[in-house]
Amino acid sequence: MAASETSSETTLRHAFGNVLSFFILLLIGVLAFSIRLFSVIKYESVIHEFDPYFNYRVTQFLTKNGIYDFWNWFDDRTWYPLGRVIGGTVYPGLTLTAGTIWWILNSLNIPLSVETVCVFTAPVFSALASWATYLLTKEVKGAGAGLTAAVLLAMVPSYISRSVAGSYDNEAVAIFALIFTFYLYIKTLNTGSLFYATLNAIAYFYMVCSWGGYTFIINLIPMHVLLCIVTGRYSSRLYIAYAPLVVLGTLLASLVPVVGFNAVMTSEHFASFLVFIIIHVVALVYYIKGVLSPRMFKVAVTLVLSVGLVVCFAAIAVLVALVASSPTKGWSGRSLSLLDPTYASKYIPIIASVSEHQPPTWPSYFMDINVLAFLVPAGIIACFSPLSDASSFVILYIVTSVYFSGVMVRLMLVLAPAACILSGIALSEAFEVFTRSIKFQLPGASINSQVSAGDNISDSTMAHNDMAKTDKSEDTLKERPSRKNRRKEKEPVEQPSIRSRIEKRLLVLPLEASILAILLLVFLGAFYVVHCVWAAAEAYSAPSIVLTSQSHDGLHVFDDFREAYAWLSHNTEVDDKVASWWDYGYQTTAMANRTVIVDNNTWNNTHIATVGTAMSSPEKAAWEIFNSLDVKYVLVVFGGLVGYPSDDINKFLWMVRIGGGVFPHIKEPDYLRDGQYRIDSEATPTMLNCLMYKLSYYRFVDTDGKAFDRVRRTEIGKKYFKLTHFEEVFTTHHWMVRIYKLKPQKNRIRGKIKKSKSKSSSTSTKRSGARKKNPWH
Amino acid sequence: MTQVPTLSRLFIFITLICAATLSGLAKSDSDRVSELLALRSRSQSGVIHLDDRSVSHFLTSAKTPRPYWIVIFFDAAQLHDKQELHLKDLREEFAVVASSFLTNNQDPSSSSHAKLFFCDIEFKESQNSFSQFGVNALPHIRLIGPHQSIKESDQMDQGDFSRLAESMAEFIESRSTVVVGPIHRPPILSKKQLTFVIIALLIWMPFIGKKIISGKTLVHDPKIWLTGAVFVYFFSVSGAMHNIIRKMPMFLADRNDPNKLIFFYQGSGMQLGAEGFAIGFLYTIVGLLLAFVTRVLVMVRNRNVQRAFMIFALFVSFWAVREVVYLDNWKTGYGVHAFWPSSWH
Repeated sequence: MAASETSSETTLRHAFGNVLSFFILLLIGVLAFSIRLFSVIKYESVIHEFDPYFNYRVTQFLTKNGIYDFWNWFDDRTWYPLGRVIGGTVYPGLTLTAGTIWWILNSLNIPLSVETVCVFTAPVFSALASWATYLLTKEVKGAGAGLTAAVLLAMVPSYISRSVAGSYDNEAVAIFALIFTFYLYIKTLNTGSLFYATLNAIAYFYMVCSWGGYTFIINLIPMHVLLCIVTGRYSSRLYIAYAPLVVLGTLLASLVPVVGFNAVMTSEHFASFLVFIIIHVVALVYYIKGVLSPRMFKVAVTLVLSVGLVVCFAAIAVLVALVASSPTKGWSGRSLSLLDPTYASKYIPIIASVSEHQPPTWPSYFMDINVLAFLVPAGIIACFSPLSDASSFVILYIVTSVYFSGVMVRLMLVLAPAACILSGIALSEAFEVFTRSIKFQLPGASINSQVSAGDNISDSTMAHNDMAKTDKSEDTLKERPSRKNRRKEKEPVEQPSIRSRIEKRLLVLPLEASILAILLLVFLGAFYVVHCVWAAAEAYSAPSIVLTSQSHDGLHVFDDFREAYAWLSHNTEVDDKVASWWDYGYQTTAMANRTVIVDNNTWNNTHIATVGTAMSSPEKAAWEIFNSLDVKYVLVVFGGLVGYPSDDINKFLWMVRIGGGVFPHIKEPDYLRDGQYRIDSEATPTMLNCLMYKLSYYRFVDTDGKAFDRVRRTEIGKKYFKLTHFEEVFTTHHWMVRIYKLKPQKNRIRGKIKKSKSKSSSTSTKRSGARKKNPWH
Repeated sequence: MTQVPTLSRLFIFITLICAATLSGLAKSDSDRVSELLALRSRSQSGVIHLDDRSVSHFLTSAKTPRPYWIVIFFDAAQLHDKQELHLKDLREEFAVVASSFLTNNQDPSSSSHAKLFFCDIEFKESQNSFSQFGVNALPHIRLIGPHQSIKESDQMDQGDFSRLAESMAEFIESRSTVVVGPIHRPPILSKKQLTFVIIALLIWMPFIGKKIISGKTLVHDPKIWLTGAVFVYFFSVSGAMHNIIRKMPMFLADRNDPNKLIFFYQGSGMQLGAEGFAIGFLYTIVGLLLAFVTRVLVMVRNRNVQRAFMIFALFVSFWAVREVVYLDNWKTGYGVHAFWPSSWH
């Protein structure tokens, strides 16, 4: 970062720049934290959505019972009658982090509740993530780009959507871990220091603890290493950056129970081992090349190549055989659907059914990364000139993540940091060129005065980058051979920088056009800020457990979910089992503390299919299924009265599909009229008689006399019917949650009927609609 | 009932012809099945080509609990060039179902063996049958059960062949007792092509290996990588993956005015092909122009060229951003607005 001024002046400028960067970073942290507080301000300090409730419950358990009990926790409140081993099936990073924060705060006598800590974990970590982005981008393109990227990341909507206060989910800490791991990798690559390599492995370990997305790291880094080798950029720094990561990282990763031997057994990790072999072969070749004379080397190459190739092919053959022996070729369904985007929709309805696994359309990009989408191509080009190890990594990162985000909308989250980094690079470079053009052409500015005060940070980076530009052919600047050599190199490097200064004066654009361009860029940035604040405030802050709607007569609050869960926890036995579609499993266990059949951890497809089958069967069959699972209560979510679109009727086709996947007597065409899903008078009889329809629309006609469904915008098909095997026990204020109780078993009545037939016939005439189905007739 | 005499007359006529041509072959069910089997083994994909005569032979004249199900694909060669009907594609898919059924049920002991036959009829050859079935619009696929007469038979709906072979098989399985089984699609490359590719690859390998070692390949040229990276970016942000997975068309025809085409679909859950590429282009062009201005244009010595080009680039970028913002608001219906201090109002 040295410019060619006298040493005292440069140190002063440096110090000033560093202090300024520090304060800017502090402000960025504050920004990142505070932009995520809209949810607390607009609603309340509450855990959001579905998965966070599970994490919250686990954290509560951890803080109450300690880490060992948490590790060995077998949860019998879920997946009844199977239960779930929580300690071995959960990524513990988030819960351990929040638990540790809570523990530290409490030992400092700051009595925060576990819930408060959980709510604010995500905003705190997004501040950390933006600082990590600064470090990463600084390694790639200097401090100016780093600060720009950090401020972009602090408010990128895609990341906000997963890290608003209350969104207590794995991604909140995982994105920080992801960026920080990448930073340490680049840092090791630039310095060749084993210290950073070790830190890198530890950061990777934290990432493995936090999120299943760690497979992205363990595939991206080998890809980059391979790319470097193929393009002839192998160096000892590359070796130091990669080999310890694979060895230490894999060892550490297998310590996490949920990963365990997967770290060496599944195909997601094979790329890293393959590249591990390759880098050793290449390292050997380079070593031999250094030791032998060129002629001897040629002989050795032919020898080694022939032997090495045989060994390589043998190893690859073994790997391929291993992989091919498993039916899914060793890949998990989610990874397969990334490689072959049409895979999930064909074979795994349970993955395809989740809305965040859908492929995004172009407005999603505009919504989630906004104007960054325009800037990224410029960033890509900036990274290509000059192409260094670090910048090639960033390019690889953006290319892979943008492809993955195109397949699954949820992976937009992985794209967001890459987009911020590249946009930061592009923006800072554009500002640099334009401000330079203005600075040196302002009337009155003496061209020769180099030490003009003002833009201090960008000035130093400017010199830095320009040098790289002028010495493009050499390309040596960013690839510091090693730490020790770097200091020696400083002297000769400083001399061309004078030359570059003189040359740079020519590299300017017209003054007025530059001013216009800067204005437009500032407008673009302002638009980004407006959009991000709007997205944070309006689009992504709703906790989805409390809903609000703005209408002409003021604000309506729908707190039906908590009403229903509270009812369950106050009015049912502790050991009662509640059946619902899996979406509401985590919430039921966390808020109502009742045992559920299935929950959002969709590990057992058959069990989910059983519930799906019950929901799509007629009443009696459903009753039998539920009764066999000891279910006492059935909970359905119904939005027809208030117009809440993500209710069970809208999810129903997925229940049919998932149920039909395991129990073939459930056929999707039976529920569709001419391929259309409808619940009005045109609906199929199977649809009108299935449990989900009945539980959702039972007594619905009493509300307005017409039974008009506001979500489907139609009158329902069958309005008057009675329930034979279920009874309604609770319906919330806005009818959004309806709870039914299974009627007690009736098999003992059979004897009674034989004795007094007249009596039973009078009761059965009451149930006129269900007469045929009565089992004892 | 005027139909009865015509039908019976037809019946007599056909029996006469059959008697003449097939030299008194007994019309028992098992013979029909073996005939069908023979016809099927002669056809390439397992789809039997029917005409008016054979329709009556196997369907109308056969007594009603026929021992087989028949699926008929109604084809018309003159309509093959009409793209929107997808007749050719559907015919191919139909053949895929047929051959999959064949391979899945080769075993004579399986319950579905020789129970289901896939047939097709061409319009020009067999106009009679088309009118018999009452088919006046294509594409049209019909499943005729053992007990059903021609008029009663089930027609496959638009929804049933929307997902191609898989949904056709589902339809058949849902309406009949026959099990089609998993669909086997022919591999994209035939065996010969595959061996050719492998041989070509093997020959090519040493050359490419030599080049890699000497460091003079395309992979060493950053320009290739640059183009590739920008292209992948363009491809992804245009939502092309969405179009591939959902099989979206490039544009739709306007329902109200058939001459007009719809390029932009309103509603954020869906997009059309052309729409995606247009926006992807707008997303990409701004960044490329910015990079061009900051990297290439600064090298230009002529001030006026610089000025003119910058104005042009700024104008295009401004237009592109404005267009995307406008289209996004139109498509999603979101009203992005700023938050000002309440005292400013």
